[in-house]
Amino acid sequence: MNMLRTFLAMFRGRKLATIGLIWLCIVGLAAIAAPLIAPFDPLEIDPVERLSEPGLPYLFGTDHFGRDSFSRAIYGARMAVIIGLGSVIVALVTGGLVGMLSAYFTRLGHVLMRGIDVLMAFPALLLALVLMTLLERSVTNTIIVIGIVYATTTARILFGMTLKLKGETFVDAAICSGAGHGSILFRHILPNLISPLLVQASFIFAFAQLQAAALDFLGLGLPPEVPSWGNMLSEERIYVTRAPWLLIFPGALIILSVFSMNLVGDAMRDSIDPRFKDDIAGV
Amino acid sequence: MLLYTIKRLLALIPTLLAASVLVFLFIHLIPGDPAAILLGDTATPEDVAALTREMGLDEPIWKQYALWLGNVLQGDLGTSVFFREPVLSVIGDGAETSILLATMTMFWIVLFGIPIGILSATKHGTWVDQMTSGGAMLFASVPTFWLGLYLILIFSVGLGWFPSSGFPSISDDGGLTNLRYLILPSLTLAAPNAALIIRLVRASMLDVSREDHVRTARAKGLHPAKVAIKHVFRNALIAVAAAFGFTFAALVSEAVVTETVFSLPGIGRLVVQSILRRDYPVIQGVILVIVVLYMIINLLVDLAYARLDPRVSLK
Repeated sequence: MNMLRTFLAMFRGRKLATIGLIWLCIVGLAAIAAPLIAPFDPLEIDPVERLSEPGLPYLFGTDHFGRDSFSRAIYGARMAVIIGLGSVIVALVTGGLVGMLSAYFTRLGHVLMRGIDVLMAFPALLLALVLMTLLERSVTNTIIVIGIVYATTTARILFGMTLKLKGETFVDAAICSGAGHGSILFRHILPNLISPLLVQASFIFAFAQLQAAALDFLGLGLPPEVPSWGNMLSEERIYVTRAPWLLIFPGALIILSVFSMNLVGDAMRDSIDPRFKDDIAGV
Repeated sequence: MLLYTIKRLLALIPTLLAASVLVFLFIHLIPGDPAAILLGDTATPEDVAALTREMGLDEPIWKQYALWLGNVLQGDLGTSVFFREPVLSVIGDGAETSILLATMTMFWIVLFGIPIGILSATKHGTWVDQMTSGGAMLFASVPTFWLGLYLILIFSVGLGWFPSSGFPSISDDGGLTNLRYLILPSLTLAAPNAALIIRLVRASMLDVSREDHVRTARAKGLHPAKVAIKHVFRNALIAVAAAFGFTFAALVSEAVVTETVFSLPGIGRLVVQSILRRDYPVIQGVILVIVVLYMIINLLVDLAYARLDPRVSLK
């Protein structure tokens, strides 16, 4: 309860960020309750009703297979949350571990951080594309690939932050009282990094949406039958002149969600430890 | 400065070598026989056997790498399976479009990003600032291809002002007027990046404006505009210059998408099509070229940074 109160305090006096937070809650609810909200099966094809205009019973119209766009958008929210959270977990766990261990064990760090430098020599989407050529199109692989791409930046950020903390007195005190390496890293250093990590997570979540949509658009992301906002745009783009609404709704959903996540990340960044503020580059 | 340049150049070599190992291994990570992959689906077993010998695929892997690296250093990136042409000339064909697109995009980024960033910082806290920095964040949240599709819908299909796709070379009929084909793509590509520059100019100007020398300038009674440009912006530019390396990487990533939306015959679209065609030698070649370019640009940015801010090279 106390944590929730601290979290909500970050949004005091920030109208736009508060609206963003509310929007994200709506997306989250839609993701959880998708089967209850969606009026139709997102995969059900109805050729008679293809390319119907928005109205009733099809709120967002239907696509060229006659599938209900509103239901697909609701299930798309579920996919957005899965891709976002999945990429965040992969990026923070792998990147975080590499960054922290590298800063703590200097010799290991020399090797690991050079490896990160090499991966960072590949522009983000290019790295994702190359990795996707080696893997099949699937939800898991998309998550892993986007996660790895952002693990590199996360590793570099955590490396810098852990280095700063390593010299602090409380770490010396822990060493003197006989704490082991694991205990120092995870019980003394890590708790100080939780809030900057959450800020980083919010930006990765936002970027992941754009990357996943770009991969879907290029035909190298999620399998085409999966209802995601990126796939909706990718599949219906050739009908843009006949049915422009088919691109407006999923596009607006992506923009609103990424924008909201960036606003929330910005609000959170302003209230974290000032030592770490400049380390995290959001939008 | 010279010493710093040499130091930076030397530091580049290990990273470059490691990246080349990754690019080399790429062909070997694809499931299947590399020779068969390189020759494509139409190859006969005899062709495959011949290439296996020629590439030394029966040799130990480090020897293969040395052979490959030797070829690369002589400008031989292999042969495209699809075009049956040397990879380097396939990449060369796309270079004109991509270079012109990147140049026009940079022009928009500087034209919009810097003045709006300055405006946002000088009007800090007012509604102008809220509109511009909020608007910039909104633009950074738009998927590139979505923006491109709607620009086509409005300005090509609707108003008929600009062509919707393709790009004839400027050496063809039409000459420089062919650049009109690149206006919508370059604007698409510029939007998210200009947004980042706006926010960066704003943030670094606000940082600088808190420094003592700016307070002194104000106390002397200098005109606020002069303080903003000569004292604040020029110092803030150092951070902005450093971000242009990052902008290049973002441009490469987004060019892949933009060139696909507008069907431009550039290097970005070549990457996507080569992936879909399974033309692995081209993918390998393009990635290598982009990585090398990216490293060179980062080096140039760092050198420029050291020149702009002498404190850097002294460290």
